[in-house]
Amino acid sequence: MSRLAKKSPSLCTDLPLDNADICNKLNFLRQLLKSCFGPTGRLKQVHNNIEGHVVTTSTSSVLLPAISSSQPFINLIKTSILNHVSRFSDCGLFAAILCLSLIEQAQQSGLRGNVAIRVNKHLLGLCTTYLQGEDCGCKVKLDFCSSQNLITLARSVISSKPTCVLTEPETLYISKLAVRAFLLTVPCNSPGIVSLGKVVTMSVEGHGVLNSAVFPGLLLDMPDVFTIDKVKNLPSDALRMVLFSASLAGDLSELGVGIIEVPSGVDTDSQILDQLLELGKQVVKDEVKLFVCQKVIHPVLQQYLRSHGIIVIERVGITLMEPLTQLTGAQPVATLHTTIPAKAYGVVRDLNIRTFGSKKMLHLHPPGESAICTMILCHRNETMLSELKVVCQKTEHVLRLTLREPSALLGGGCTETHLAAYIRHKSMTEITETVPALGCSQTEYLLGVEGFCRSLEAVATVLEHDGGNSLMDLTHAHHWTHPADVMTEHMGDGLGSCGCGLVESNPNQKWTYLNTKGPQFSPAPLSRNATLQPRVLDSFTAKLNAMQVAVETANLALDVRYLIQDMN
Amino acid sequence: MLPVERLHLDHVVQTVCVLESVVLRSFGPEGGQVLFTRDTGQAMLSRSGTRILTALRLEHPLARMVVECVLKHSTVTGDGSKTFILLLATLLRMIHKMACKDPNVSHAYTSRQTAEASTARHLADKIHAFALEELDDLIILGVIPYGCCLSWENFTTKTTLPGPSNNHCVQKLLTTFFHSRLGHSHCDFMSKLTCELLTHWKFKSDLPPLSLQFVNDNLDALHTPVSGFPISCSRLIEGQVIHRDFATPCPQSERKPVKAAVFTGYLQPKLLNAGQVLQLGCEEQWMEENSRKNRSIVHFSAWTETSLKCVFANMQSLGVSVILSAVKQSAAVLALAAQAEMCVVECVSEDELSLFAQLSGASPVSDSWMIEPEHVATLTFCRPILLGAHRYVHVAFQNSEDRVTVEPCSLVICGLGEGQTEQYTCAFRDAIRMLLSTWEPVGMTATRASKRTLLSNKSTSSHMDNQIPNTPPFQQCGVQPGCVIPAGGTFEFLLQHALLQYGTSCSASVDTAMSGLAVSQILANALLIVPRQIYSHCPRRFLQAQTRFLTFIQNHSHPFSLVYKQEHSSVFGESACPLEEDKLTKHCYTEADMSTKLFMLDSGLESVSCKYQLLLAVLQCLSSILHVDTVLHTHTALHSKSRRLTNTSREDTEDETED
Repeated sequence: MSRLAKKSPSLCTDLPLDNADICNKLNFLRQLLKSCFGPTGRLKQVHNNIEGHVVTTSTSSVLLPAISSSQPFINLIKTSILNHVSRFSDCGLFAAILCLSLIEQAQQSGLRGNVAIRVNKHLLGLCTTYLQGEDCGCKVKLDFCSSQNLITLARSVISSKPTCVLTEPETLYISKLAVRAFLLTVPCNSPGIVSLGKVVTMSVEGHGVLNSAVFPGLLLDMPDVFTIDKVKNLPSDALRMVLFSASLAGDLSELGVGIIEVPSGVDTDSQILDQLLELGKQVVKDEVKLFVCQKVIHPVLQQYLRSHGIIVIERVGITLMEPLTQLTGAQPVATLHTTIPAKAYGVVRDLNIRTFGSKKMLHLHPPGESAICTMILCHRNETMLSELKVVCQKTEHVLRLTLREPSALLGGGCTETHLAAYIRHKSMTEITETVPALGCSQTEYLLGVEGFCRSLEAVATVLEHDGGNSLMDLTHAHHWTHPADVMTEHMGDGLGSCGCGLVESNPNQKWTYLNTKGPQFSPAPLSRNATLQPRVLDSFTAKLNAMQVAVETANLALDVRYLIQDMN
Repeated sequence: MLPVERLHLDHVVQTVCVLESVVLRSFGPEGGQVLFTRDTGQAMLSRSGTRILTALRLEHPLARMVVECVLKHSTVTGDGSKTFILLLATLLRMIHKMACKDPNVSHAYTSRQTAEASTARHLADKIHAFALEELDDLIILGVIPYGCCLSWENFTTKTTLPGPSNNHCVQKLLTTFFHSRLGHSHCDFMSKLTCELLTHWKFKSDLPPLSLQFVNDNLDALHTPVSGFPISCSRLIEGQVIHRDFATPCPQSERKPVKAAVFTGYLQPKLLNAGQVLQLGCEEQWMEENSRKNRSIVHFSAWTETSLKCVFANMQSLGVSVILSAVKQSAAVLALAAQAEMCVVECVSEDELSLFAQLSGASPVSDSWMIEPEHVATLTFCRPILLGAHRYVHVAFQNSEDRVTVEPCSLVICGLGEGQTEQYTCAFRDAIRMLLSTWEPVGMTATRASKRTLLSNKSTSSHMDNQIPNTPPFQQCGVQPGCVIPAGGTFEFLLQHALLQYGTSCSASVDTAMSGLAVSQILANALLIVPRQIYSHCPRRFLQAQTRFLTFIQNHSHPFSLVYKQEHSSVFGESACPLEEDKLTKHCYTEADMSTKLFMLDSGLESVSCKYQLLLAVLQCLSSILHVDTVLHTHTALHSKSRRLTNTSREDTEDETED
């Protein structure tokens, strides 16, 4: 039966950014995301109306998909940010907050849409040139000879996700594990094009975080306990293995879609099984010790192989096939009627059993150097564990990004305040050249600059959730927080060091509150003090892209003059 | 009785004005975007008039008719949909005003409204007829002399040379186009990218449309949308991107060159097709079609594997190491390929395979038993490429003799989200279409075709021979393809001037005096709405621009004189030379004052041919909507069962039937 519904006409809104309802919604989204930002961010519980699974999170990649809005503006921003997060795994909240602040500032300044867009784009250009330049004051070169900065970078990512509920030593432990796993995936001695290996992550619930571990090689689930003894009796040198990618259950799926007529008395099943056992005989003759199949193995064949002392693992799934071939050098076999060529066999150096609580796993050691490693993550309950797994995958991605661009940005809000100070200064010195090129008046330009810098500073400010004050020093323009409950005579006393930890307070330093009209100055580069190491580092590549995405999204939103909503 | 709705002129004007108000927000250089959500819930941004109009989901039949006209126009030229609506609304308003002032006085009409409608119809027809008859001549005489011609040769040589390429005509034309489609911030970047792409895809000794047509036809296979990155990450990459991943572990060795074969079918023979029957026997076994002796089903499947092995042996002897397949292959194929150190790419789309075949010169294999050397393509490399979330296959071709100058390259279009990449791709596609129609000569409409065939033939040949200077100047500038004019209302100002002049010359002769004058005046005044809207954020600038143009035209030329034409042709001759600096100010007098020159330099360029086609399309649409006088709301029964229901109660079926 055909079903034809009449298309209803669309709903139109003229100049949507002047609409109070839409502005309120955007403001609400900003408040929501702001409260999640940073290591002390507040968690959000997401649960649906049919009393389903409750998710606790503060990560943009989990939170944003949960926010469903009928407002296309929200969706526009949401998809932009999510696309960024799926490419770079970091700085999602940063991008979202910056974008929403830019929209708000542009609205408040009362600039014509086109002018605000041009100024924003110009200032973004200044920022990216500065960040990519050699003399950038908020960038740290990463040195792969020491893992110190890599661990700091990993720790910044992990500690910014409070849902994992990690103590300080646990955070450090996981950061070190993540860096170790990352380093294991970088092959050392292969000339030419380097292809990175893979970290296979497995999670075990109900154990302390400190039980987590990283192993070179692969760990596979052991379905039955009877093989454990066999594993122990194996000689510990090169063991031959075979890998099947076709099903060994006795079905012939590749014949086609026609009808097969079988006369009574002919048992095709047993004919096929005979063929499978032929295969088993060859494997036994070739002294294979490990038999792995992507799909199902016929129980009779399994029994046959086991009785000959071969360890059988079935249903490993497509995702583990590539790591398995890389690890063992085996080529997957899918032909059942021809003898297995000798070069299709792979080699495993050693096999042993690893136990994690109730889980028994078979550890395959690589024959030589291999870029495959397995990360076992343990945590006390399921929610924390699933977040920890997400966080570790993100950390791995962030660490991989450093291979392309070995730099990191100072964290703790220092990059934002530093950039804002730089932009304020730079735009003033170049104002006479810029204004005619942008086709706006000086006043408009200055308004635009102020809005842009305030948005940057706003991101630094929201790192503080406990009512403290955000400050900026007037020499290096780093970010400082001043706890709300500490009352001191001098401003500098209760400050200790700045957000990233590279600047320590001294009596000669001057501060200004963020988002107040402070003096305009050129931020001084840091004197390299060897004893001070940055405490917080952010991914350079991710943050740079996040900034571009935020400004471009804000510009898109500011450019919208009309809204058409399809109501079907 | 069917429900009948009489269409009055007021309704028509009202309907089109509503469309105009929607489109106006994104019109011109100061316009913005329209955000719309699709029925899937996906948010989309657009400044394209066509996109906006189709997103409205209009109900009124008249509005839908207008939108259809816009669509028809913009699929050809890729441009001008917003101006279309704007001009149409303005013309309708003017006609409405005139018709109300003096409706046809005749006793035949029953009411004042029908009389108005008939006057309006009459006027619209006359304007349309006038445009078909006179517009091309007016443009040739009144507008083209102030424009300049794009030279394809010039374009490509200049971009490859280092130097001030921003002065470039094609790039300027594209910048103006992208400005109106993507906004100020991205237009320079996109036009540069487009020019670069076209330079790479330039076929030697071919006319420009061929290369544009090629890009237009293959754009789907030539571009890769990548979301999550800012637009400035968009770039060109060498060779072709096949939008699939390797099905087998990708090649590690950097063997060069790489040999590839394309398969359209299954490598492993599937002898048992639907409807065929395989009989297994105990004693006398036979297979239905091949009558091959088989003992059991195992032998049958063993046979397909052996035949597959032969295919692979054959391929190995030809040195093939990459298999591109249109379908999904069996696990055995993948395993054998891995053992033979070949890599397989499955489920490649038809467009991509055909582009691959064109670029590599190898034909696809349909029967896997018959692989000949002509099926084997030679590639410089074949490697994985990570674009956004996806890993694709990146191939590059070895130069073959027939395409020495073409450097195959693909476009990576980056955007924040899927909606944006789609928007950019759309703009890109339309830009190519716009360029294509720019190269269409003015005055080649059906009615004029016979009159001009001779001239155009001459002209095209002269174009190919890089402009013989002694071609008669009038013909050359008249039908020259690729004519452009400074943007920002120049076309409209010039044409308005020409139309008014024509009107005064008409009023001298007696017979057509009244109608000719009125018609040209309506058209002339309607045209002014375009610059008026362009400068709508600052009305003073409109007046400034208008005065500047009028003084310029009065001071500088009598384009209808012979002296002018000859000088003009010499200027065109010069413009073919890349050293010519200011091609934008192509008027005859070299002593032109600096202010005019500057004015023309800072604005972009527009295509005269697109504008001309737009005007004709608007006028045609105008006369056709004024010819409609009644709307009949018919009812279509969806199926027999509901028809029986509707027969009994027609009044209740205003809404669509539900089943």
